[in-house]
Amino acid sequence: MSQIEAPDYERLPVKPDKTYGLMCVVPTRSEAVNVQTEKQVLAWPDGLIRYVLLFLVLFMVLAVISLLFNAPLEEPANALHPPNPAKAPWYFLGLQEMVSYSAFWGGVGIPTMLVLLAIAAPYLESKPGGEGVWFHSSRSAANWIFLGIMGTLGLLTLIGTLFRGRNWDFVLPW
Amino acid sequence: MQSVPHADETRGKSILHRIWYSIFRSPPLPVSELDRAQSVANNFFLHIHSAKVHERALRFKTTLGLGLMTFFTFIILVVTGILLMFYYVPTPEKAYDRMLDLRSAVFFGTFLRNMHRWSAHAMVLLALLHMMRVFLTGSHKSPREFNWVLGVFLLLLTLFMSFTGYLLPWDQLAYWAIVVGTAIAGYAPVVGDQVRFILLGDSQVGSEALLRFYVLHVAVLPTVLTLLIGWHFWRIRKDGGLARPREDLALAPAPAGTGSDNAPEDAPPEKEER
Repeated sequence: MSQIEAPDYERLPVKPDKTYGLMCVVPTRSEAVNVQTEKQVLAWPDGLIRYVLLFLVLFMVLAVISLLFNAPLEEPANALHPPNPAKAPWYFLGLQEMVSYSAFWGGVGIPTMLVLLAIAAPYLESKPGGEGVWFHSSRSAANWIFLGIMGTLGLLTLIGTLFRGRNWDFVLPW
Repeated sequence: MQSVPHADETRGKSILHRIWYSIFRSPPLPVSELDRAQSVANNFFLHIHSAKVHERALRFKTTLGLGLMTFFTFIILVVTGILLMFYYVPTPEKAYDRMLDLRSAVFFGTFLRNMHRWSAHAMVLLALLHMMRVFLTGSHKSPREFNWVLGVFLLLLTLFMSFTGYLLPWDQLAYWAIVVGTAIAGYAPVVGDQVRFILLGDSQVGSEALLRFYVLHVAVLPTVLTLLIGWHFWRIRKDGGLARPREDLALAPAPAGTGSDNAPEDAPPEKEER
């Protein structure tokens, strides 16, 4: 909320023995409170119209994708005929790739540590500064650690998705 | 704050006017700032949003719209998901046939399934990108630590949502992906096998697993996700809007709960503790 400044009592002394009445209301569109310093705009319409436009764009993109590409549907499930390789959904293929090196560390140990690290991140990075700015120079170390972790996970996901064939052997997708 | 119109304002007006005001309490196209602010603050669905936002928060570069788009995919998924529920039966005998029915017998069935599938992938991807945006702009830092934590749980829930939905078509792709995915849960020490059994309701992926995944996917997880999304959005308002540079903050009054620590950020870059 905006802070309303205290009235200038010296210039306009309020006398307790007098009564005051509202003389007129000036017909403007806004009340001039902190207009210069706050740079605030109204959620309706400035924000909400943008949100609706963003929704329409997103909806249209997804609708076009849905018209062009059909969701996959393979043969009915058969517990007796495992495909080779059997792959998890794409967002777990990084995990599956790590599992192929070590079942416990890849599937449980490292993922658990990553989640705990993610939860702890804002408390570990307690020094103020750089909020709301892309790649702020005072946060370059934290950003590089974060990008390193995300990049590694992305790379493992990519390998699991494209470069793993029969018996989880390394294959080229082309 | 006057949120209820004076009785004189609606007396003698048309019935449409009175009905509108009985619901919304603000004019349909508000012109004054007060009416515009109240049309947000008085609306059940919009009051989770602040009536005013910093102009910086609306610039595309600030957020790339990623959080909103993640939410929008969730809305699309709820709507298409409910429509799909009308045609789906979570049993190994019927599930796959219902997928074929969607193709052949249901009006726009293929489009409906495609929308649900691609929106689900988009939601996982957008949630990840949103998380990256928040971190790389330092928006997770004090006083927004807890909203980041809520975001981590929202990401995990989104992954679990997608994972439980993956089984439902009951085709080879679905079945073996869940066999592989739940096997990973079994690698946890001591409790691994129990966790896997609770998830599948059996020692193998079968009819019990399909029913459990279905209930989790259409009832339990969406409810929890909706609550956490509401909490996540509410925290944005309570944390003083989106994160913005300290130079801007120094000019503005401190948001509630941050004290008066608005020193301009001109100290030399310092080493991270991590």
